[in-house]
Amino acid sequence: MTRTPSGARRASIGPFVLGLAVLLCSCGGAQQSQAPAPTTPNAPAFSDEAPAASAAPTGGVHAAPGQPPLSPRPPPPPPPSPADQPTVRGAARIAAGAELDRAQRDLELAASDCESACRALASMERATSHLCSLAEEPDDQRRCDDARHRLTAARGRVRAACGGCR
Amino acid sequence: MKLGWLILAVAVGGSSVALAGCRGEGSTAGCPSAEPAGPPVDEALMAFLSAARALHHEADVRQSANDTAGAIASLERLVALPAPTAVEVDEVIADARARLAELRLGQGDVDGADRDVHAGLQRVKGPTYFRGHLLEVEGLLEEARAGALADAGKSEEATRARAKAVDLLEEAVKVQERVIDRALADGGKDGDR
Repeated sequence: MTRTPSGARRASIGPFVLGLAVLLCSCGGAQQSQAPAPTTPNAPAFSDEAPAASAAPTGGVHAAPGQPPLSPRPPPPPPPSPADQPTVRGAARIAAGAELDRAQRDLELAASDCESACRALASMERATSHLCSLAEEPDDQRRCDDARHRLTAARGRVRAACGGCR
Repeated sequence: MKLGWLILAVAVGGSSVALAGCRGEGSTAGCPSAEPAGPPVDEALMAFLSAARALHHEADVRQSANDTAGAIASLERLVALPAPTAVEVDEVIADARARLAELRLGQGDVDGADRDVHAGLQRVKGPTYFRGHLLEVEGLLEEARAGALADAGKSEEATRARAKAVDLLEEAVKVQERVIDRALADGGKDGDR
């Protein structure tokens, strides 16, 4: 038995990989003022401004009632000079490439998990089948029922995570 | 196929999960050649794994030609290979022992199968697929033993063997259940073990 390639775990990662690929391809043409949003919490931030802007409002007009006005928003940093731009783009490309590699590894790990689970499930099915074929006494029948219950539950978990086994 | 999976898993750096990606045909991601920054792969371990894989293939060929004795001989060579101390080696040998036991059981060699199962169980102690599979095979072995004893009119011994078979098969179910839970819960850290 092997995992189903189109399993749910793989499917859940696929769009992420695709998104990163698109990001990677589009980085080169992006304007410096359009900082790409981080794709994951661990993704490197390409702009120091974006997280701060989303974490807390800035500017006196957004201060809460009774609170002193917040200090004016500092001016944005000057745009990188033309000489710096290739370096910034290169760093963004490297970061996006690393993220893509990481997502690829996650995808492969998920596939491996499903293969392991399917292999163990096959063994579980064989053992349960033999166990139940030997059940003669009431206690044996109870153990057979318990094994079947465990098998059904395990099958459901594997199906949910991997989309089933071949 | 199981062995190939293991071997390639080891090649990726000791983590059988991380290495599983290397086993996949057409993909080099996770393989040693694709990860120059990874840890060095032990040469003796790689040599053992390569030889083990070849002997499994040899056993496959012989088994498909109905040469069970020849397949057993190939696997006996495998378990006698000089090997470094490594978890991967233990798992490959445990896997080969399980296969040997099944082949011997098919030949009616219950005692020989019993020796292989116990030798394999010495190699893998934790709740791993390999241990669960060996327990499953041992359960089949005791089931066969119970049948033979019943046929010989030794009903009490047959009853004991049957009860032992039920115990072993139940344990195999529980071990594999834990393997599945871990594989699906830990992101592959121990998934194939």
